[in-house]
Amino acid sequence: MSTIELLTQGFTTVFTFKSLAFIFLGVVIGQIIGALPGIGPSAGMALLLPLTFGLDPATAIMMLAGIMYGGQYGGTLTSVLINVPGEASGVMTAVDGHQMAKAGRAGAALSIAAIGSFLAGVGAVAAVAFITPALSAFALRFNAPEYFLLAVLGITAAASLGGSPVRALMAATLGLMIALVGADPVTGAPRLTFDQPALFEGIDFIPVAIGVFGLAEVLSSLERAHDMKPIRTRLKDMWLTAAEWAESRIAILRGGLIGLIVGIMPGAGASVASMLAYVTERRFSRRPERFGKGAIDGVAAAEAANNASAHGATIPMLALGIPGSASTAVLLAALVLHGVRPGPMLMQQEAVLVWGLIASMFVGNVVLLVINLPLAPLCASLLRVPYVFLAPGILVLSLVGAYAATLDMGTVWMCLVFGVLGWLMIKFDIPRPPLVLALVLAQLLETSIRQSLLLSFGSLSIFVERPIAAFLLVLVAGSILLPVIGALRRRFGGI
Amino acid sequence: MTLKAPPSLAAFVFCGVLALGFVSSAVPADAQEMRAPRGPVEITVGAGAGGTPDVIMRSIAKIMADEKIVDVPIVVQNRTGAGHANAFNFVLGKRGDENTLLTLASPVFTTPIVQGTPSVIDRITPIAGFIQSELVLLVPANSQFKSLKEFVEGAKARPSRVRIAGGASGGNDHLAMALIEQAAGIKMTYIPHESGSAALATFLGGNVEGYFATLSEGLPHMQAGKARAIAILSEKRRTDEGYKNVPTAREEGVDVVYTQFWGVGGPPGMDPAVAAWWADKFRKATESKAWQDSLKEKLQLGSFHALADADAYFKREQDTFRRLLTSVGLAKPQ
Repeated sequence: MSTIELLTQGFTTVFTFKSLAFIFLGVVIGQIIGALPGIGPSAGMALLLPLTFGLDPATAIMMLAGIMYGGQYGGTLTSVLINVPGEASGVMTAVDGHQMAKAGRAGAALSIAAIGSFLAGVGAVAAVAFITPALSAFALRFNAPEYFLLAVLGITAAASLGGSPVRALMAATLGLMIALVGADPVTGAPRLTFDQPALFEGIDFIPVAIGVFGLAEVLSSLERAHDMKPIRTRLKDMWLTAAEWAESRIAILRGGLIGLIVGIMPGAGASVASMLAYVTERRFSRRPERFGKGAIDGVAAAEAANNASAHGATIPMLALGIPGSASTAVLLAALVLHGVRPGPMLMQQEAVLVWGLIASMFVGNVVLLVINLPLAPLCASLLRVPYVFLAPGILVLSLVGAYAATLDMGTVWMCLVFGVLGWLMIKFDIPRPPLVLALVLAQLLETSIRQSLLLSFGSLSIFVERPIAAFLLVLVAGSILLPVIGALRRRFGGI
Repeated sequence: MTLKAPPSLAAFVFCGVLALGFVSSAVPADAQEMRAPRGPVEITVGAGAGGTPDVIMRSIAKIMADEKIVDVPIVVQNRTGAGHANAFNFVLGKRGDENTLLTLASPVFTTPIVQGTPSVIDRITPIAGFIQSELVLLVPANSQFKSLKEFVEGAKARPSRVRIAGGASGGNDHLAMALIEQAAGIKMTYIPHESGSAALATFLGGNVEGYFATLSEGLPHMQAGKARAIAILSEKRRTDEGYKNVPTAREEGVDVVYTQFWGVGGPPGMDPAVAAWWADKFRKATESKAWQDSLKEKLQLGSFHALADADAYFKREQDTFRRLLTSVGLAKPQ
């Protein structure tokens, strides 16, 4: 059967009342879970897994997948409105999205995020439908050396987040230092854990992000509580302007492509995708100075990338049985629990289920767009509530989120410590996103270089012998050298 | 207008059920008194959603509910992090509690050994060990090694140049590799990953020479022509299609038997009557058709050990873990 026929068959599976109802339920739950900091889509899917036991496998998987990509839409809300990214992939959205919110453009930021996520999501599902086998072969060509260079690219790019590269790099270094705590990823020996079992697996992203972003914001607002005014938002400012749409179109395309490519790699996730999309957009932009101060194309690129990546991660899952992300790992577990054996034979043996899932992702994205467009101005008007009333809510939401992530009070304390750190960073004008991104990338960075060197028996030549690695190495060299050359030129006049 | 069964018949049936229940609960060899816990029960899992221990517990909890073996609500709760320490510390802290069970997976045994902290197994109330997974050594389909013999010779000829992609340092595959190294007198390179599936991606990408897989994990890749199984680390061969031609490591001259296993325990000081009740429920659930079908489907084994027998079984395995972790240099003296 041709792809079109299979897809048509998939849509007939989807267009029944029961399937549509469960897809709707899945995306709405995903939207809500994504908006809550702490509980990410994968944890939410795990929580709801037992509820799918009464369903047939296809319906169950459609609903769970709905939570997975619904979460990418929902995560935008807290990132933009209160600067608390619910997930690692929301950090880049918060950078410009929250600046836009402060300028009264939250509605526009949320709208472009929804549109960007939708277009990139649908594009990525089309890729899943038509070129999965080819892409899965490509995904396997990425391994430790390539992941290492991608992570380096991410870390060097972190330098461009914030006013001064030196301050940004200081923050990134601090992030890398925090990431050193915990068991050594290769030997398993405890490192900087001071015999505290809680530190054995290292410091997780969630308490750091919630503390450094959410709590720090509240702490710093306490200092200037007397001159805080609610953000002025007029209804006519809620919608996207034609100029903003024009600025975002190409960003969505580029962000979606980057997200798809990074998403299909089993080792790199949505956070790497949104970060690379953001810095790419900044590099291509004619006015890069707007980035970090509320650039709508930055929001569009980051959101397009993280949604495309969430969908792209289903490619290695369907074609190889290898999860591309934490959420697809839960999807695989759900398949196993429903008596389906994942692996390279899945697409042949379970064609109805696989094509039903693909078709359901088209439908789910449409539903999410329809939900989110009217929701954008509605949520944006939340910011009209004076901050003195909003702040306790943010505090409670953040701490409950931190507790919910591990069900351990230790995480809440950690969150408070990082809240103070974030507040100090605001005071000393050190940008916070590089710290969190470095923390997210550090594990990939460290594991992959050590795996690379184990694979090559200690030889660095592994980074140039593999074609994709060599290409990435050129990109890394360029991203480091170009700004340096640019700076020298400006200092000494044209050379 | 009232349509009810004659009271005598109802009473007769009721008494019969009671009598049967009495007889059957009196029969078990342990001859232990049993008492059901009251209220909802949490099964704590130290692995994330989707990990093997998580899937096992969710499956058996589902069977217990579906087949009405257990009528109190069961919640499978993931308490991830710190090499299952978040999960086992949570349960260890609930002395005498009747509503919490701990999933026993290899990190519950190995984490204390690696960190030099007191054993968990010596403190929990053992309930049951009820499921095992055999391991096979996979090589890429185009590998020069056609058998475990050739694999061992290759590793002898080039010490430390044969690479195994694995789940984590100190994990089951690492220990299985250590056993093969000791039995065959060779040295290989173990490359740890963030998870078993990340290691599988490295293996399928053709970056390494070998990968230890469970039977159900390996089969689809063998069927797709990407991998070959050269040995199964079991006492005897499997009879299933796909694995019946795979020799045991012993047949190939490498004296290694290594099986992954999972079980369940209660907090320290759990009432023996409640532990016995749970052991009975796990036995009933594992005897169900649904469970037996699932074992067959996932190519797992269902040897069952309860209470005192489970205690001895877990302690034996703990000794094996300690010996192996010491041999790979990961054990930390207490």
